[in-house]
Amino acid sequence: MDVTRRSFLWAGWAALVAFAVGNLAAAARFMFPNVIYEPSQKFNAGPAAEFPEGVSTQLTTAWRIWVVRKEGFLYALLARCTHLGCTPNWFSDQNRFRCPCHGSNFTPGGDVIAGPAPKPLWRCRVEVASTGDLMIDRAILENRPGLRERPPFVVSV
Amino acid sequence: MNFPNLKAALINSQIWRSIFRSGIWKDTPRDRAGHVIGNLWLHLHPVRIRPRALQWTYTWGLGGISFLLFLILTVTGVFLMFYYRPTMELAYRDMKDLEFAITLGKLLRNSHRWAAQAMLVAVILHMIRVYLTGAYKKPREFNWCIGVLLLTLTLFLSFTGYLLPWDQLDIWAVTVGTNLAAATPFLGYEGPFSSLLGVHVANDVRFVLLGGTVVGENTLLRFYVLHCVFVPLVAGALIMLHFWRIRKDSFSAAPLALPGPRSSAEGAAAPLSSASDEEKVEVWPHLVLREYVAAGFTVLFILLWSILQNAPLEELANPTVTPNPSKAPWYFVGLQELLRYFDPWIAGVMIPNLIIVGLMAIPYVNPNPKGVGYYAWRESPFAIATFLFGILLWFVLIFIGYFCRGPNFAWYWPWESWLVHKAPPPPTWDLPLWAGALLLLFYFGFGILGPRFLQREISFKPAVIFYWIFAAAAGAAIYLFGFTAGQVAALFFFLFVYYLFGFLMPQRYLRDLSWPRYLTAMVFLLMMVGVVLKIGAMVGFNLHYILALPQYNFNI
Amino acid sequence: MLRKLFYLINFSLLAFFLLAIRQDARRGWKKYQSRYYRMEIARLEQELAQSSDPGKRERIQEEIRRWRSMGLQIRQIILRDFDRVDRCITCHVGMDPFANPSLTNSFTENPYQAHPGKLSSSHPFPRYGCTLCHQGQGLATEVAAAHGAVRHWERPLLKPPYLAASCARCHVNFEELPGAKAAALGKDLFDKLGCVGCHAVNGEGGAVSVDLGDVADKPLGRVDFSYTGLAREEWSVKNWIELHLTRDPMEIVPNDPQGKFGEPIPPSGMPPFYRELQPSQAQALTAYLLSLSHESVPHEYYVYASPKPKPRFANPVEHGRYVFHKYGCQGCHGIGGARGVRNFNALGPDQTRMDQGAEPTLTKVVGTYTREELKEKIRNGVPSSAVVKFNPEGPIPPLYMPPWKDKIQGRELEDLVTYLLSIAEKGQWW
Repeated sequence: MDVTRRSFLWAGWAALVAFAVGNLAAAARFMFPNVIYEPSQKFNAGPAAEFPEGVSTQLTTAWRIWVVRKEGFLYALLARCTHLGCTPNWFSDQNRFRCPCHGSNFTPGGDVIAGPAPKPLWRCRVEVASTGDLMIDRAILENRPGLRERPPFVVSV
Repeated sequence: MNFPNLKAALINSQIWRSIFRSGIWKDTPRDRAGHVIGNLWLHLHPVRIRPRALQWTYTWGLGGISFLLFLILTVTGVFLMFYYRPTMELAYRDMKDLEFAITLGKLLRNSHRWAAQAMLVAVILHMIRVYLTGAYKKPREFNWCIGVLLLTLTLFLSFTGYLLPWDQLDIWAVTVGTNLAAATPFLGYEGPFSSLLGVHVANDVRFVLLGGTVVGENTLLRFYVLHCVFVPLVAGALIMLHFWRIRKDSFSAAPLALPGPRSSAEGAAAPLSSASDEEKVEVWPHLVLREYVAAGFTVLFILLWSILQNAPLEELANPTVTPNPSKAPWYFVGLQELLRYFDPWIAGVMIPNLIIVGLMAIPYVNPNPKGVGYYAWRESPFAIATFLFGILLWFVLIFIGYFCRGPNFAWYWPWESWLVHKAPPPPTWDLPLWAGALLLLFYFGFGILGPRFLQREISFKPAVIFYWIFAAAAGAAIYLFGFTAGQVAALFFFLFVYYLFGFLMPQRYLRDLSWPRYLTAMVFLLMMVGVVLKIGAMVGFNLHYILALPQYNFNI
Repeated sequence: MLRKLFYLINFSLLAFFLLAIRQDARRGWKKYQSRYYRMEIARLEQELAQSSDPGKRERIQEEIRRWRSMGLQIRQIILRDFDRVDRCITCHVGMDPFANPSLTNSFTENPYQAHPGKLSSSHPFPRYGCTLCHQGQGLATEVAAAHGAVRHWERPLLKPPYLAASCARCHVNFEELPGAKAAALGKDLFDKLGCVGCHAVNGEGGAVSVDLGDVADKPLGRVDFSYTGLAREEWSVKNWIELHLTRDPMEIVPNDPQGKFGEPIPPSGMPPFYRELQPSQAQALTAYLLSLSHESVPHEYYVYASPKPKPRFANPVEHGRYVFHKYGCQGCHGIGGARGVRNFNALGPDQTRMDQGAEPTLTKVVGTYTREELKEKIRNGVPSSAVVKFNPEGPIPPLYMPPWKDKIQGRELEDLVTYLLSIAEKGQWW
């Protein structure tokens, strides 16, 4: 096939368009930072297998997290009341969290059963590392039924 | 040497003439024309203009006022930049310095704040005015689109500037606002179908907007650059284009034909009144003087407002303490209100984008060439009624969100104290999947085809009377079934909105449109009415989702 | 018409601009500063008139010239260690170490007087500034805003006796510190009343209610002031704490015991201490609580004193009484176990209303337990579901016995039980 002047001109234009599109893409990529200076919201909570059945409060003071193990699944609740942000307490005898500030009550699943809280407690993103340690990310939260019961907000152990 | 001679010598000097070109002012038509043509700023005007275009009640000066406010914002903004450092440690302190330590700093910040609010209002009113006078119609469609983009940029400018003081009001408004971006379908980590593309919190559109996963140092810097450099540059370029197009397409207040007096039969437009040939007048001084007065009142208004009221500044931003309630800035609070009725991907992403696209589509959908250059209710009742309905809806939502929402976003009347405790909202329910799918299919299917395939036009009066008789009867029946009176009223009110805007009006006014135009118009119309209906279903019957596919985060 | 508008606009623009400049130029601090200069100059001139020594006259004249030439200016102390700027000395010129190097003067009223006491030598102002101790808004130069008595400033000026809270933040073991008497008294009361039985402080203590370790930092957004009756300007952490001590906490946090909004929620379980506390005691307790903060202070600002030695006991009953108080048991059971405090909707003796429910009075009930049963009870506590309700439809009582097995062990537990058995009123109740 002959390379005529005209067809070569198209190639030239194509090169320019590719350059422009490439520039746009590069500019867009440039805007995504590769390092961010946020305090890590992700932490290693220790061996996942060692969390007891039910609600564990051992991470509450350090990380504001409750780890709940239920029927072979683990999930991590953020210990922050969705009403005004106080830290609720766990009451194993009543099987609920109760907020000391305005009395909102939550089930171990995080649903509101009483009080002024407008929405369920947040669940954090969880995963089990290759070492068997539970990794909890407090930046990625979910509280919608249907979504919070699915990975990455629960993990099977 | 006396004063006139001195003046003449000065004006005729080489220096003066090299700068201003024109010689001594003799107030001849040539001088006046030269004043407009020979001046970089004034030559955006034509030299002569029809007297009708000078009437206050035509433009209200809104476009010019918007531009003036943009200039005020540029100047005050540049001055503020001398004292403002966009870091988390210093931004708030700099606000305090402006208030307490810098000469006229408070006035400057107040002016910037209030001019921004005034500009939003002016731009919105300008859009309404342009719409009502038909100035968006051919050949000005494209300029209308640029105007819509400028409105969007104005909103974005205001939103990015909102964060900069770095107080509690701002970071939470911006947190609420940017969380909407997280709900973008496919591209936001909370949006429907995003998991299919592997989008998560650290690579979605919210992440790039914030420069991180939470509103923080990067966000402040990004918003600062966007607010001070990027968006103003884009807006400035579009403003130039906007003005240039006005000049090229000619000013809309000078149509060749004006409708004749209303006394003619049926109010139809009489051809060519004598006004079409009216004598033009010179822009200098007639138009320029009026512009001066409008500008003067605008500056006066901003100055007074800034003296009387301080720009808000709350506590230093604290990302661990959420104020209750935390509200978006007022112009987005309507969207936030919609969040109570829709999932974020609809309320925060689909609806605003559809509003923008829908506004831009209007001049291409509406083929009616009549009604340009004057307030033309009679020429296009449907177009104007629908548009005003949309605007009204928007401001009602803003009013509710701004004045009627208290802690936990519960309903509080504007005169009610927020200290009163309110019951939590009642439980909600979803339609089963099949019913929701059928309902949506029917709504859009019948909604689009119904008005078009009606054999003959239905006249309004009997149709409306019939509806309310039917509503009274059916309402009484379902009242007996145990629904409350409020629910019955809500049901038939919202159905009436659909009946009027989604059925009666289209079957009368849209039946002669070409298919592409008709389809576009009906889809947008049905979506707008659908928003109203969904609000009604939620308020009256606690219906949460019509169609729920939680696994894809796709709920309507 | 347009011509008239033209004049109207131009003249009003100029007028309002001048008004704005005038407002800006007449700031409140200028009044105080120039008044201070004038007072100082008048004092020096008086001194000059009385003095005859030429050398001294020269010095005084020099001083007068210095004050005369001193312009009105915003004065500030920049505290790099704390990332703060304090402009208080703009009005309180007598406390500016550069304008008034002696840091003393003869004026007696604020804002002119110098800092009372000798504090300026131990706490040099260029290093400590003002707001570190006094709080308030250091950046502000207007009275109300600077004193922090405005909306959106959560740390208003601390006045005595609450000011002692600031001493207690850096002075560890402040019990013997001369200036911090109120805080010391407050800490004493905190221990005596057994607050720690329900309120842990930084994890030490019971978990029945909120941890008070950072109560002074509590953001006002987390407080519901709606039942306090306080005006908006009086909303502060200080008032919130003090109200718990001067009013019945049940009135301030009534919650929803009738179940109007769903499941019934009991009111605050905190006992009504206002009956036994003098106002001055409530203030002292508040001052102590206001010292509990997690705001970071660089380590070199901390001052340590030797802690009180731990008491030793030979007598197990005495030791048991000490343990009883150490863990705050009297917070619920009363001092010496003599009177159980109110526990909403718990079943108590002679009860006709939910708010007459009470914690057990130990002197009456411990006698019904064996030593082992008592130990078991202390170790495992009584979960709130096991607290018998007065009204079965009513809320779960707010107070309960937390399990103490991780905290009270060994000798302490043995002696505590010995003590408890010693206070039982044998045979009277049954």
